[in-house]
Amino acid sequence: MKINGKSELQERLAAEYALGTLRGAARTRFQRWMREDAATALAVARWEARLAPMAAAVAAVAPPARVWRAIRQRIGQAGAPRRGLWESLAFWRNLGLAATGMAAALLAAIVLIAPQPPQPAPAPVVLRAPSNEMVASYLAVLSDPKTQKPIIVVSAGRSSTDLWVKTLDPSIHVADKSLELWALPAGQAPKSLGLVAAAEKMAAIKLVAAADRSLADVPALAVSLEPRGGSPTGAPTGPVLFSGPCVKYW
Amino acid sequence: MAAEPLAGLLAACARRDQSALARLYELSSAKLFGVALRIVRREDWAEDVLQECYLRIWNHAPEYRAGLAAPMTWMTSIVRNRCLDWLRRPHFEVADEDGAIAEATASDNPGPLAQLERSGDAAGIARCLKELEAKQRQAIVLAFYDGLSHSELASHLRQPLGTVKTWVRRGLLKLRSCLENSR
Repeated sequence: MKINGKSELQERLAAEYALGTLRGAARTRFQRWMREDAATALAVARWEARLAPMAAAVAAVAPPARVWRAIRQRIGQAGAPRRGLWESLAFWRNLGLAATGMAAALLAAIVLIAPQPPQPAPAPVVLRAPSNEMVASYLAVLSDPKTQKPIIVVSAGRSSTDLWVKTLDPSIHVADKSLELWALPAGQAPKSLGLVAAAEKMAAIKLVAAADRSLADVPALAVSLEPRGGSPTGAPTGPVLFSGPCVKYW
Repeated sequence: MAAEPLAGLLAACARRDQSALARLYELSSAKLFGVALRIVRREDWAEDVLQECYLRIWNHAPEYRAGLAAPMTWMTSIVRNRCLDWLRRPHFEVADEDGAIAEATASDNPGPLAQLERSGDAAGIARCLKELEAKQRQAIVLAFYDGLSHSELASHLRQPLGTVKTWVRRGLLKLRSCLENSR
């Protein structure tokens, strides 16, 4: 469904989204539209502001104490400062360092993980290619930290909003879970880029802004294991499965 | 519930003040748990939803814009949206064990509206809901409070899908114009 630029439809869908009757694939599609289009997000916010006061009529029910205990634990206040990997500054620092250090090695990695036909790929082809056949792009190779094996290649043209995700290892598909791709901006919290369609060998994720804006200050990407449909919190909640440097090349 | 302390607490959460989150939880969790419980209709699920939503509130507090929505509106929308996403899970089936839906469906039942009128910031929406035709109001109330989809509404109200969709759409348009005129 192509829904851009139709304000009446936008308004109707925003109302139904806020009311809750927009469901299934239409709801998911509309959520994507909201993320990409500020006017749509604003229309939804207005409808939520109109309808949400209805919640005042709902009887309050005190939740059991374990809910708050779990929340407190997850934001890292409980007892000893035992923090998750995602919250550990050292982890991000090291990843940043690794990203810088690995940038040079990356083009070599591309050679290794390029589609492998039965016959050995002759190196000179690769050496010749960049000058006039590769457009300036962003590229990341995510690998399994345990085996060092490259698992996913992510790329986007600098002015494109299509982020191409190529899965090198089809066995990473996980039933009942989702793999979520994160940008790891230097010194900031991870930002979700979208879900990895692990069952597909190659799929595109739509970036909110062109790669030159979305990935410019992002030295590394990572994939975490999340509940189906992606992290419910907007921050990674599951273990980091793959990560790797993200570089810009010309 | 006064909006001002909640807004201040959200601002403090944005500065990573964990005691502000604790206070925010104290002030708002019972209402939000009630909202979630009504939609997902199972306590363990509502607990999971609530937990996820407060983490979301904590993580997204820096993005809260006081000019766009009252704090409770913002948090309620987070909870309702999470519940609706939750209902998409394959294991979910609409259960009506306690008859809550059937009761609310009876059109002469003032149901939640009477409560709404007594609540200060909801007086406008309560008045405008009363101006709707009974069938439009019923459909909107069921969708909002109980999280029913169009097709669930159609089966509960024993009406064709298209009819129910029209009630909802027209009801929403009327609500909007009523709320805008009352400003």
